[in-house]
Amino acid sequence: MARFIAALAFVGATYTAFSPGIYADEPTDSALTLDEQRGKEIFDQSCISCHGPDAQGVEDRGPSLIGVGSAAVEFQVNTGRMPMARQEAQALRKPPMFTPEQAAFLGAYIQAIGGGPEVPEDVDLDNLEGADVANGGTLFRVNCSSCHAFSTGGGALSSGKFAPDLHPASAVEIYQAMLSGPQNMPVFADNQLTPDQKRDLIAYIKYIQDDQAQGGWDLGAFGPSTEGLAIFLVGIVALALATLWIAGKS
Amino acid sequence: MSTEVPAGEGKKDEQAEPLDVLDPNVTRFELVKEALRRDGVEILHYEPRFPVPGTKEEKRVVRTISFFFVLSGLAALGFIVAYIWWPWEYEFGGADTWSKWYTPVLGALLGIALGGIGIGILTWSKKLLPVEELMQERHDGASDPVERRLTGATLVHIGDETGVARRPMLKRALLFGAAPLGLAALMPIGGLIKDPGDALFTTGFNPKFNGGNPVRLMREDGTLIRPEEISVGGQITVFPAIPGGATLKHADSPTLLIHLREPDAEEARNNAYEMNKGSQWENLIAYSKICTHVGCPASLYEQQTNRLLCPCHQSQFHITNNATPIFGPATRALPQLPISVDEEGYLYATSDYKVAIGPAFWERERK
Repeated sequence: MARFIAALAFVGATYTAFSPGIYADEPTDSALTLDEQRGKEIFDQSCISCHGPDAQGVEDRGPSLIGVGSAAVEFQVNTGRMPMARQEAQALRKPPMFTPEQAAFLGAYIQAIGGGPEVPEDVDLDNLEGADVANGGTLFRVNCSSCHAFSTGGGALSSGKFAPDLHPASAVEIYQAMLSGPQNMPVFADNQLTPDQKRDLIAYIKYIQDDQAQGGWDLGAFGPSTEGLAIFLVGIVALALATLWIAGKS
Repeated sequence: MSTEVPAGEGKKDEQAEPLDVLDPNVTRFELVKEALRRDGVEILHYEPRFPVPGTKEEKRVVRTISFFFVLSGLAALGFIVAYIWWPWEYEFGGADTWSKWYTPVLGALLGIALGGIGIGILTWSKKLLPVEELMQERHDGASDPVERRLTGATLVHIGDETGVARRPMLKRALLFGAAPLGLAALMPIGGLIKDPGDALFTTGFNPKFNGGNPVRLMREDGTLIRPEEISVGGQITVFPAIPGGATLKHADSPTLLIHLREPDAEEARNNAYEMNKGSQWENLIAYSKICTHVGCPASLYEQQTNRLLCPCHQSQFHITNNATPIFGPATRALPQLPISVDEEGYLYATSDYKVAIGPAFWERERK
């Protein structure tokens, strides 16, 4: 009996220590770990209005998060895309609202209730030493360049959507994006591109990020669209001014 | 008005007596004037910019022009030095490297060198050369009738001299000699015309390229594909698994293999045209990657809106409805490749495309 009371006291003390007072009278989901509990708290405060109770989704507001996995959650939250500022064609990258730790809690919660893809723990993304940049370049051109452009600058999609510039993305974010296929990006799960291939790809993107723009100002590296527009506007304006000047002289 | 005599006419009358150019007493300027007069040009006004030589103003202009020439020379020397000694080799990263300024430095120096010469010469002619105003006589209408008659007679005479009209055999022989020569010149163009056969109607997925057996799908590197290797909501570019299948020899064959989500696959199955029925394998669907507009790779796959975009002219194709065009200049749906899985578990094309892939061509509808 004494041991039972002692155990009760320990559980009670732990609970009081970790749970804010206003939630004290709410029933707790004993199936969730502490981190997942914290994730659920954040979810119930900041995400529930669009993604619904238990992440089941709300019609015309936000999709169900069952099965999206922690990779998707951490990618969206750490890049500031979620929470969205407003309903629009595409969630934009902005300063994140939650700390990486909070994002990890959220990811753990969504992972616990629905499962889904996670970044494998044995992939070393902090140190890309030894990754095959050339192979990554080949993979990038085959799989990614049609939307993100050859120099990772991104490009337009339909109806206001676009493939973003990859320069601000971190190695883990790129991995998570391939794994989860955020928004309209196709999914490149580990069965399609192995973790090693993904590492090569990330090494290539990092290489491009760290390199200088060959040939001067790259105009956002969007390729022929911006370059054509720039030369058209600058060139035509210069020619028009030159003709005006010549006409004014004679 | 009527009392005014046109300058040219008046001058002719006044100077009826031509200048004796061989007279040693004639000045050089008079000779220049006479040369112009003979070309029908008259000097109306002529005065030096600086009537009194060596003024402060003149010296200032001379210094300015000299400055531009010297500047040009220095820039050109700088260009040579930079061209030889400026570090030009590619350096990785290179936020603060000298090499990334190689091209801009060359451009700027060459620009200054050429611009300096140009501005110097322009300033010279505008600020130092004498002020002059010339007038040239205007010739109007056709040539002088006498001149025309003489020229006409000469031309007819040349034609008559050959005697072609009198000697018909010569005419025919010349024609026989020259006409085939003209045809021979056309021959190189003929070499460009050839019957493409059924090349426009078949792709590398046609069993004829595989000894009559159905052609499997492969990646660019030649590995075969199992259906479980494509993520749900993912896509992959596939080629016919035949020798040279991923090369330009079969440039008409690249195909986009998409793994649709269950409800989307169901929708695609329900929407399928008669000829596309049964072309899907479970939730996998394969469309030609070559846009039906002008043949760009229409491979921008939006996995939530199920659209395929062509980056060249913004055509959009509806994946779950036979890849019919819903936006942009393309007018025909992307052809669908019928696929299945063989007993070894690899994806293969059950037949070639049912319709010709890519942009339209004249004989397209005839088959």
